[in-house]
Amino acid sequence: MTAYRLTEQMWADHLAEVIRDFSVFAPIKKENSTDFEEITDKKLGSIYYGGNTPTTPLKAFFFPIKENVTTTNQTQPRILIGVPNCDLTALVLLDNIYLGGDLKDEYYQDNRDRTIIFGKDCDTIKESCHCTAYSIKPYSEKNCDISMSVSDGYFYLSPMSEKGEKYLDKFKFNQLEALDSLPEKVIQNRETMLANLQKQNIDIPDEIASRKGIEKENKVLWKKHATTCVSCGACSMICPTCHCFLLIDRKDFEKVKNWDVCQLPDFSRVAAGEDPLEKLYERLKYRYLCKFAYKPDMFNALACTGCGRCIDTCIGKINKNVVIIEACQ
Amino acid sequence: MQEKNIYKPIKAKLTKVIEESPMIKTFVLVPDEEFSFKTGQFIEVTVENVGEAPFTPSSSPLETKQLEITVMKAGYVTEEMHKMEPGQYMGIRGPFGRGYPLDEFTDKEVLILGGGCGFAPIRSLLYNLKAISDQVRKVTLCYGSKSPVDCIYKPYIQELRDTPKFEVYRSVDKADETWEEKVGVVTVLLDDVKVDIPNSVVVVCGPPIMMKFGTKKLLEMGYPEDKIYLSMEKNMSCGVGKCGHCEMGNYFVCKDGPVFTYNEIKDSPNIWM
Ligand SMILES: Cc1cc2nc3c(=O)[nH]c(=O)nc-3n(C[C@H](O)[C@H](O)[C@H](O)COP(=O)(O)OP(=O)(O)OC[C@H]3O[C@@H](n4cnc5c(N)ncnc54)[C@H](O)[C@@H]3O)c2cc1C
Ligand code: SF4
Ligand code: SF4
Ligand code: FES
Repeated sequence: MTAYRLTEQMWADHLAEVIRDFSVFAPIKKENSTDFEEITDKKLGSIYYGGNTPTTPLKAFFFPIKENVTTTNQTQPRILIGVPNCDLTALVLLDNIYLGGDLKDEYYQDNRDRTIIFGKDCDTIKESCHCTAYSIKPYSEKNCDISMSVSDGYFYLSPMSEKGEKYLDKFKFNQLEALDSLPEKVIQNRETMLANLQKQNIDIPDEIASRKGIEKENKVLWKKHATTCVSCGACSMICPTCHCFLLIDRKDFEKVKNWDVCQLPDFSRVAAGEDPLEKLYERLKYRYLCKFAYKPDMFNALACTGCGRCIDTCIGKINKNVVIIEACQ
Repeated sequence: MQEKNIYKPIKAKLTKVIEESPMIKTFVLVPDEEFSFKTGQFIEVTVENVGEAPFTPSSSPLETKQLEITVMKAGYVTEEMHKMEPGQYMGIRGPFGRGYPLDEFTDKEVLILGGGCGFAPIRSLLYNLKAISDQVRKVTLCYGSKSPVDCIYKPYIQELRDTPKFEVYRSVDKADETWEEKVGVVTVLLDDVKVDIPNSVVVVCGPPIMMKFGTKKLLEMGYPEDKIYLSMEKNMSCGVGKCGHCEMGNYFVCKDGPVFTYNEIKDSPNIWM
């Protein structure tokens, strides 16, 4: 893997230059979390390059919480820094849904096109991180434009797409000396993270075993776990692969695409009143089937990338991995 | 990439409203732009600033200047539609999905089982079959309603009865003194029809409960699973396979359907809800 090495100063100068033409978003450390913020001159120094998943899932940049899909598309070019690999892997499914088939979602397409994504190397693990259960690594090797590793005061950039190559070319980074591989210390961190995750996730069934377990379970398990679900929908809103939305109508035949999720009541109710997901436990079960059976079959992509957000966020304390482990017993 | 924004409706002028029954109206729409569809495909119809809902046009797909939708008053959007008058505009998007595979009906007898507002897509199919009636052997319509006042398209039923190759059987759940046809749920009509099962296909469209019992009876009668065509109803929003609302196991009903053979969906979850 080709990498270009930038000093801290070079990277800082570069950022100061690009924020004039691009909107730059990067993780900023908060008290108990990190989250993406738009980077202004003042925040240039506070970007947090380490950690694991920012609170906001990557999808929000391409599939915003609310987006008018009948007026002009946004065109402002953007740079996203510090995207973890679980979120990058989720893009495979989202791209297949929104851009696959005969009819493409041009708003999603434009949002993708105007964005350069920098993948990161995770350097901490939260209790709920379980990417490796599904063979996803805690660093980026594809599904982004540029992979970025930070170590010993240097920034290492590797192109991962044509768009990434063009970017490095535009800013003449490819005129720097090209390293054949990342430095030992970066590789070492990657391997340590991978090994720690594998150890942490040793009991979590992989996607194939999870599916088998989920498919064989009928009511009992779902009813048991659904007892603490309050149907808030947070688990799905925050999930990087959940893609569902509802079009809301406005004046002049305008439509606004709004996040919507199957865990909320009425998601699948038809006019006659019938609703296959009327009961809470049916909705819970459906979510697992959608992620481990329906979506992989329909779109040939993982629909859970192990980011752990649904586990962190659930006020009913429903732990997806506990549910799956029980389903697989 | 397609030229059109998949979410943006085109305007269509409402030129006529026909009261079919106390709960059902047909709206005649003239789109501002060229618009065509295949029978069985659906469109998303917008009431400005209110909402959008899917409907299968009930007019002939061969008619290109205008189209008709037949709408049962069922909730938020449809109630607003029922208040609309000629001269107002609706928005339409589409056509979407996979309609009836007419090629596979060639040289076959076509049996049609419909109930309630399921007659809407069926009428479009009947118009189309009439236009190609030299290519099919016979068309038998079995249509059920709750009561005689709920029977829709009355003049059209008469016209069909006078058309060679077309037969019409009707039933109502509850009769009154004017009713001279069959009484009972629509499946009772199947006892009367004469069909050459090995050389026929069957189309079923209606409320989920009717589709369920209709399909069960047809299977018992010996219809092969892949010759039973069902129009599935699911909650829909986008109509184009993006929003997830219509997911039924491994299908998005809007994009992969709404017409499926029983064989295709028999293992999917919640097909009758
Ligand atoms: C492929 C297909 C073809 C159909 N063809 C016909 C037909 O030819 N004739 C016919 O009468 N019916 C047809 N239907 C059924 C018709 O679409 C429903 O009756 C209609 O959606 C009812 O809408 P409503 O808002 O009046 O009912 P409601 O019960 O108010 O709403 C139905 C569902 O839509 C949701 N919803 C309500 N308001 C909004 C809103 N503003 N924005 C987004 N979602 C909302 C609700 O949550 C509810 O789950 C068809 C359905 C499908 C799937
Ligand atoms: S976050 Fe928890 S409580 Fe909320 S819908 Fe999901 S499972 Fe239920
Ligand atoms: S299901 Fe949970 S762990 Fe899996 S990708 Fe979604 S939020 Fe992350
Ligand atoms: S209606 Fe949106 S995916 Fe089918």
